[in-house]
Amino acid sequence: MSAAPKTRVPFTRRDAALLALAGGGAALFLWRAGSGPAGGWSWSAILSFFVRRDEAGGGPLPGILLEGLRTTLALSAWSMVLALVLGAAVGLLAARPQGGARPRLLRRLCAGSFVELLRNTPPLVLAFLFYFFVGDQLLAALGVEEAARALPRGGQRLLAALAAPPARLVAFASAVLTLALYEAAYIAEIVRAGVESVERGQWEAAYALGLSPRQRLARVILPQALRRSVPALAGQFISTVKDSSIVSVISIPELTFQAMEIMAGTQRTYEIWLTVFACYLLLCLALSLASRRLERRLSAGGRR
Amino acid sequence: MAFQADRCDPARAEAKVLGGVIVEARGLRKTFAGGIEALRGVSLAVRQGEVVVVVGPSGSGKSTLLRCLCGLETPDAGEVVTDGARLPGSRRDRDRIRTETGMVFQHFNLFPHLTALANVTLAPRLARGLPADRAEAEARALLGRVGLKDKTGAYPAELSGGQQQRVAIARALAMRPKVMLFDEATSALDPEMIGEVLEVMRGLAAEGMTMVVVTHEMGFAREAGDRVLFMDQGRIEEEAGAAEFFLSPRGERARRFLSRML
Ligand SMILES: Nc1ncnc2c1ncn2[C@@H]1O[C@H](COP(=O)(O)OP(=O)(O)OP(=O)(O)O)[C@@H](O)[C@H]1O
Ligand SMILES: [Mg+2]
Repeated sequence: MSAAPKTRVPFTRRDAALLALAGGGAALFLWRAGSGPAGGWSWSAILSFFVRRDEAGGGPLPGILLEGLRTTLALSAWSMVLALVLGAAVGLLAARPQGGARPRLLRRLCAGSFVELLRNTPPLVLAFLFYFFVGDQLLAALGVEEAARALPRGGQRLLAALAAPPARLVAFASAVLTLALYEAAYIAEIVRAGVESVERGQWEAAYALGLSPRQRLARVILPQALRRSVPALAGQFISTVKDSSIVSVISIPELTFQAMEIMAGTQRTYEIWLTVFACYLLLCLALSLASRRLERRLSAGGRR
Repeated sequence: MAFQADRCDPARAEAKVLGGVIVEARGLRKTFAGGIEALRGVSLAVRQGEVVVVVGPSGSGKSTLLRCLCGLETPDAGEVVTDGARLPGSRRDRDRIRTETGMVFQHFNLFPHLTALANVTLAPRLARGLPADRAEAEARALLGRVGLKDKTGAYPAELSGGQQQRVAIARALAMRPKVMLFDEATSALDPEMIGEVLEVMRGLAAEGMTMVVVTHEMGFAREAGDRVLFMDQGRIEEEAGAAEFFLSPRGERARRFLSRML
């Protein structure tokens, strides 16, 4: 398939008028918000929450919002990877290939209850459940925190950068688990639909050529299924970033949690939430653009 | 059963010498869900180097027969023996039949995410364990043989129907099958592309490939076929040398079928 023809859209007078109207509206909103009870905008304070000066006279240090951003990124990244692996596994368990037999009852039951259990409960409730059961009971019993503390200094620093420092590792892990399981339920359905959308003839050609069941799936079916699922998977990844704000309820110091902390301390409500809004928007927009790119690159190769 | 292809065909310069039986089906029966009896006791034996053409009206069970021969369909009764491997049988037998039987589908079924070359090399690398460079050299030779030397890097979506079907033939040949099955290989093609695919099939037949060909191309059946099977309602109604069948079909049904096709 060739790329869509490029059409230049002229910028007309009507566009200019609409743009001016939208800009005016935004300005009015900002002015109204700025003249609220707290009076006047104060953006310089916000900047100091991103980068703060070391009290001891050293260089600049990451501020509380930047820390939150890092935590949100780490949380989302771990959850996405885990959710993709889990979701793909569950989706494959449940998939019924075109022209193939229905999967066995046990498989369908396992995959079905996984999806339905997680998809039909609020993630907020899941966050609490996992925090108290998995975090407080299971991970504590496994001695995760002690194991992390036993790491050498370099290892601890790396762990803190990629996940969380030892003291908060258990909470972080249960947050990742919450998000991963919740998103995995949706990814399982996406993968299942993708596999089931691959034509029967593809399975048959692969079978007739002598490929083993695993080779048929890995080399013929999955590449096509995942390619078709890219837009839906990207949507799910974007959801993961947005849903990560939920785990602020179990005191994970991610972006939303930090914003609430700052708000409680400074009353700079509008500035904080507008800033946080922009942070999430930029993160998700970047993901969105990346997925568009990937989609275009994949369809540049042959697709029916 | 004739040991040698039809001598009465004037177009054939010399009689083809056939080998021993390589594919045999005995008493195949297949009933689909819904009670449709697609096969009601079909037996046939194909000798090495023989080209057997299967014709018959729509729904007579031709595709089901081919699918049973390559293991895509499991018959309710009866068995298939290809070069000593048996179906239904052990997993090893099934795998041997799958690799030794090449199948060409009506709708090509090329892998759309792979180039023509990768389509052809995939199975030899995975199922025959050929190293990548050897598989690629063989694939290039095969693509050259079907007249697609300059299309190795093209994806299926960038190829015409006739070109896709020729890649599909090369892909099946890459497994070095002992027998090739063609299920209406030209039915999905525009008329101007049918010729190029039949040409490749004729070439294969001339090189002595054992073939079972389901087709509505009566011209091809007459020229390239050694033997014709006429199927109707899940049975082989008539079996004759190609020239004989087209000159004087015995049964009433075959006669009516031919008068519609020619
Ligand atoms: N998977 C299936 N499920 C149910 N019925 C089937 C299935 N495959 C084939 N049939 C039925 O079995 C009968 C024989 O089908 P088959 O495809 O073998 O016929 P055919 O001779 O190849 O016909 P055509 O010339 O139209 O391809 C038909 O009545 C068909 O509807
Ligand atoms: Mg058919």
